Amino acid sequence: MTTTASDVNSFTGAKRYVLDEELARIVNISMALEMPLLLKGEPGTGKTMLAHAIAEVLKMPLIILNVKSSMKLVEALYQYDTLTRLNDSRFGDSMRDVSNIENYIKMGKIGQAFMADFRTVLLIDEIDKADTDFQDDMLDVLDQMEFDIIEIDKTIRARHRPVFIITSNAKKDLSDPFLGRCNFHHIAFPDPKMMRQIIKVHFPEMDNELTENAIAAFYKLRELDAVEKRPATRELINWIRALSADPDFKPSRLAKGDVPFMGILFKKSQDFSRAVNAVSRRRLF
Amino acid sequence: MFVDFFYQIKEAGIPVSPTSFLTLHRALRQGLVINLSDFYTASRSILVKSERYFDLFDQVFAHHFKGAEMPDQDGFALDEMARNLLDTWLQDPKALADALGIDESELKKMTPEELIEYFKERLKDQTERHDGGSKWIGTGGTSPVGHSGRHPGGMRVGGMSRNRSAIKVAMERRYRDYSLDGPLTQAMVGEAIKRLRHLVPSGPKDRVNVESTIYQTMKNAGEIEIVFDRSLKDRLKVILAIDNGGWSMDPYVAVVQTLFDYAKAQFKDIKTFFFHNTVYDSLWKDASRYKEPKRVEEFAAFDPDTRLILVGDASMAPYELMARDGSIHIEERTSKSSIERLKFLSETFKYCVWLNPAPVSMWNYTPTISAIGRIFPMFELSIDGLEKAVAQLMMKN
Repeated sequence: MTTTASDVNSFTGAKRYVLDEELARIVNISMALEMPLLLKGEPGTGKTMLAHAIAEVLKMPLIILNVKSSMKLVEALYQYDTLTRLNDSRFGDSMRDVSNIENYIKMGKIGQAFMADFRTVLLIDEIDKADTDFQDDMLDVLDQMEFDIIEIDKTIRARHRPVFIITSNAKKDLSDPFLGRCNFHHIAFPDPKMMRQIIKVHFPEMDNELTENAIAAFYKLRELDAVEKRPATRELINWIRALSADPDFKPSRLAKGDVPFMGILFKKSQDFSRAVNAVSRRRLF
Repeated sequence: MFVDFFYQIKEAGIPVSPTSFLTLHRALRQGLVINLSDFYTASRSILVKSERYFDLFDQVFAHHFKGAEMPDQDGFALDEMARNLLDTWLQDPKALADALGIDESELKKMTPEELIEYFKERLKDQTERHDGGSKWIGTGGTSPVGHSGRHPGGMRVGGMSRNRSAIKVAMERRYRDYSLDGPLTQAMVGEAIKRLRHLVPSGPKDRVNVESTIYQTMKNAGEIEIVFDRSLKDRLKVILAIDNGGWSMDPYVAVVQTLFDYAKAQFKDIKTFFFHNTVYDSLWKDASRYKEPKRVEEFAAFDPDTRLILVGDASMAPYELMARDGSIHIEERTSKSSIERLKFLSETFKYCVWLNPAPVSMWNYTPTISAIGRIFPMFELSIDGLEKAVAQLMMKN
């Protein structure tokens, strides 16, 4: 989500993120308490962008750990490159000393953040994707701010405690002990006013009539009951792009309940047919 | 401090831990919390770990602080302003003197109390709302009064504080939609279906993971170590039996059907049956309970691993459940009591649950709910209940 600030002097020296007051307070408290901040919210509410904004404003390097479903915590800490070592030992054409395992240890994202010379912002994106072992293993790392490299029997301590920003799409609930170590905030879906700003950033040239009509239709469609995946900011942006690309499209048609390109907004087949049904029966408009 | 508040939150049913309460105190001691809005955000983000409790928290917060700390909104706003005023005074007396329109030397003679008194007098002089400008107290002006707080070294908020009290924020109940209380509605289907998605079997570990086998073998310096993954087992079969008789069940029948209809693809097979109040000799495939009956005995022919999910309010007259000929429908003459039929079903299918739209708190007042609850693990037809029911259905034994 990218937005601009109308006020040049405000925090949004980051230029891309409007921070609401409440969230700013929570970020400040989390940083002062040195606690990780866990952000939840629907996709498209700017959870990831917040970490970028913090890094930009506080002039800290940003390190991003994109969590994947099969990920083990150790991959985020360090990796022991056994394959290269085996290769080196057999062919011996590298400058590395094969007997020193340390040469084959590569730092993962968390390791990099710990080893950095400055305080960094460490974004752990979509932690809910990994299984609960990942979170449980991370507890120790968060508590101790250190981890062991078993292969070389060495402990890596954080030189500077990173600013942890953790995001979750709330597909699963995180484990209680993990939650206990984080501060928590839930970012609500942007209201129409905010959405107008967002659209303006993405389409500075867009004519007002289309934007207004599209946003109005979008929020009506979002209210539709019994939908598995409701359209979010991303879908709206793509939809507006499609609408403006269609030379035959007239914005006034939207208000009359003629909604083209519904497939951009609703991507699950049941949701799609339900939405088409509701629109064609003019229940919504 | 705030111990009462902590226990009120706890009693309201929000899971809070003493550790987080201590963290909150750490925040208080560090001077991170200087007014009630700070306290609201700080306590919520530190104590409450899920958005579904935000609404509850808002209610408790409003309840706790409304009467106690601030008798009226205006009084609070004034104190808030006075505090800001003093801050400014300490930092930059000249700016304040200019803003209030008095001489700086005169201002210096005032004690803080006098200053606030003067300020309040000045506020009363002001008969209309005044935004902008440099002299009067209002919003958005250059007057230092009412300025938003600063966080040295931290992040700043754009714009002026709007002086909204935390109570007002809490009373708005912005998070009502996120609270997952109460029986399932169409709006919750999206959230509910995520719970239902956990209804997938896990097979034995019998598939070789080539990549990690190579990695582990390398790690063992060439000693071969084979790593196995779980293979996907065949998907589950589900029997859904819905009580669709009577107005009390009407709102839930459609929701439950939508829910399982959406999840259909994930199951190998899903069969829906209907009954009224409770199960007698037959269940029906058609919603009118007329055309296609299926005798309960025939259910023994289904795969015993099938997950049986019954949905009903389980509320009826005790004789309907216990008596041999209990059905209230005159054409439905039965040979066995309903409770025997239910026992038969629960013995046939080892994975079974009963989802009840009636709130848990009411269950003890209805004898038939308790009776059926002893036969089937019973859960509330709510997001939470569904989550627990899915866990029950996936339990290994």
